[in-house]
Amino acid sequence: MANVLDLRRRIRSVKNTRQITKAMKMVSAAKLRRAQERAMQARPYAQMLINVLESLVRRTDIYNEETGEILHPLLIERDEKNVLVLVIAGDKGFAGGFNSNVGKAAQKFIDRRTAKGQNIDLEPIGKKAIGFYKRKFPAAKYEKTEEHYDNDLSTHYETIRHRAAQIEVAAEYPDLLLKTAFSAVSDLAHSIIQRYERSEIDSVYIVYNEFKSVLQQRIVVEKLLPIEKLGAPSVESAQEPTEEERDAAVKAAQSEGISVHVPEQSEMEEEAKKFGTADVDYIFDQSPEELFSHLMPRYVTTQIFHALLESTAAEHAARMTATDAATKNAGDLIDSLSLTMNRVRQAAITKEIIEIVSGAAAL
Amino acid sequence: MAETTGNSGLLAVRLVTPDRVLLDATAESIELPSMSGYLEALYGAAPLLAELGAGEVRLHGGSSGDQKFFVAWGFVEVLPERVTILAETALHPNEIDRAEAQKELQEGDKLWHAAGDDGAKYDEANAITREAEEKIASADGKSS
Repeated sequence: MANVLDLRRRIRSVKNTRQITKAMKMVSAAKLRRAQERAMQARPYAQMLINVLESLVRRTDIYNEETGEILHPLLIERDEKNVLVLVIAGDKGFAGGFNSNVGKAAQKFIDRRTAKGQNIDLEPIGKKAIGFYKRKFPAAKYEKTEEHYDNDLSTHYETIRHRAAQIEVAAEYPDLLLKTAFSAVSDLAHSIIQRYERSEIDSVYIVYNEFKSVLQQRIVVEKLLPIEKLGAPSVESAQEPTEEERDAAVKAAQSEGISVHVPEQSEMEEEAKKFGTADVDYIFDQSPEELFSHLMPRYVTTQIFHALLESTAAEHAARMTATDAATKNAGDLIDSLSLTMNRVRQAAITKEIIEIVSGAAAL
Repeated sequence: MAETTGNSGLLAVRLVTPDRVLLDATAESIELPSMSGYLEALYGAAPLLAELGAGEVRLHGGSSGDQKFFVAWGFVEVLPERVTILAETALHPNEIDRAEAQKELQEGDKLWHAAGDDGAKYDEANAITREAEEKIASADGKSS
């Protein structure tokens, strides 16, 4: 049996661990609060964009009357042969099942699609997802060609993709989660839209942790392109957390004083809903068709931006829950170790007394 | 919170970016860099929807005095008593990094030369160049 000194040392070490997890939990709670706020503040812009698009749809016909052809390339549905999947995980671990759950949901989706014979392009966001997929699947190979025109005055570059495997990692975005800057997301959206318009990919899905509030979170696979309905992304599949997970999350949030419900709409958001929908005849500075085609890519950008913000909030929430559980477990361990230590100490004392007493009796 | 009453003669101006609501103020008039050139809106303007290019949004008069913001791309709704601007990037002229803008200008130049016969790439390069030029102009405007 371990001696008192060893036990005391272990208790001290577990106590230190508990302090660290406790601090991590508080940090995660603060970060979660900030992430939630950011997601809230991003809403008016997204809402206004959707409003304008909707009112433009009402004003312009996105279908050609004679041919029935859809006029915007991002609305065209094609046979899904090449599917792009964006997987958003976190940059760091220590967040319970956060990273692995996203991975599992993505894998299920990929399996379903590969069974149908579709090609999958993976684009992981977040260091954890990147590490995971790079080990598992080969990276896409690109060939760069250069052509010179006008006596080398101008050069034309072209990249050609050579597909070798059914599932490939097409690109990775390791720094996107650091700041989640809109301009960086815009670049990503731009590249996706370009590939979609060139028919290199036929549909785009995004796998991430949706986070409306601590109570309302789930892992969803959403269809990003083609756009089926403005303002309401079509959810391909969703995975709700178990009752246990939800209880743990609620407990952790409550202990840090974070509201578990969806925050109330701000006044600004109410106002945002009215944007572009006043009952008047607007003068259009540009033609509605032109406006529509310029706004569509921005819409896609806000969708991805939104997913990133929610995923970040979910990551902090998951870390808060995980560290809360770790703190609790450390407490339990300390209790049980203290009990053992006291027993051992008592046993030692009893043994000594018995020795003295029996020694005295022998005299 | 700036609330305009019906006859105050002031426009309620809001500048909304993807990150947050940057400005919520009032103004007597506002200049907007629309895609087809600058336009100015006063109280009682006719309802208008317009796309904004790179340039400066300038507020005149109103609760917080004259203010300027650089916007790169945006969208504006003008109503008789309210102007709401959606801007993808909005910066205060002091926040503009002139060196960074200069770099963007060179980048745009490089892209323009590399565009070959691709029309879309020319447009893209032109957009980058224009944004950088406007940024520099806006940054210089504050020093004069």
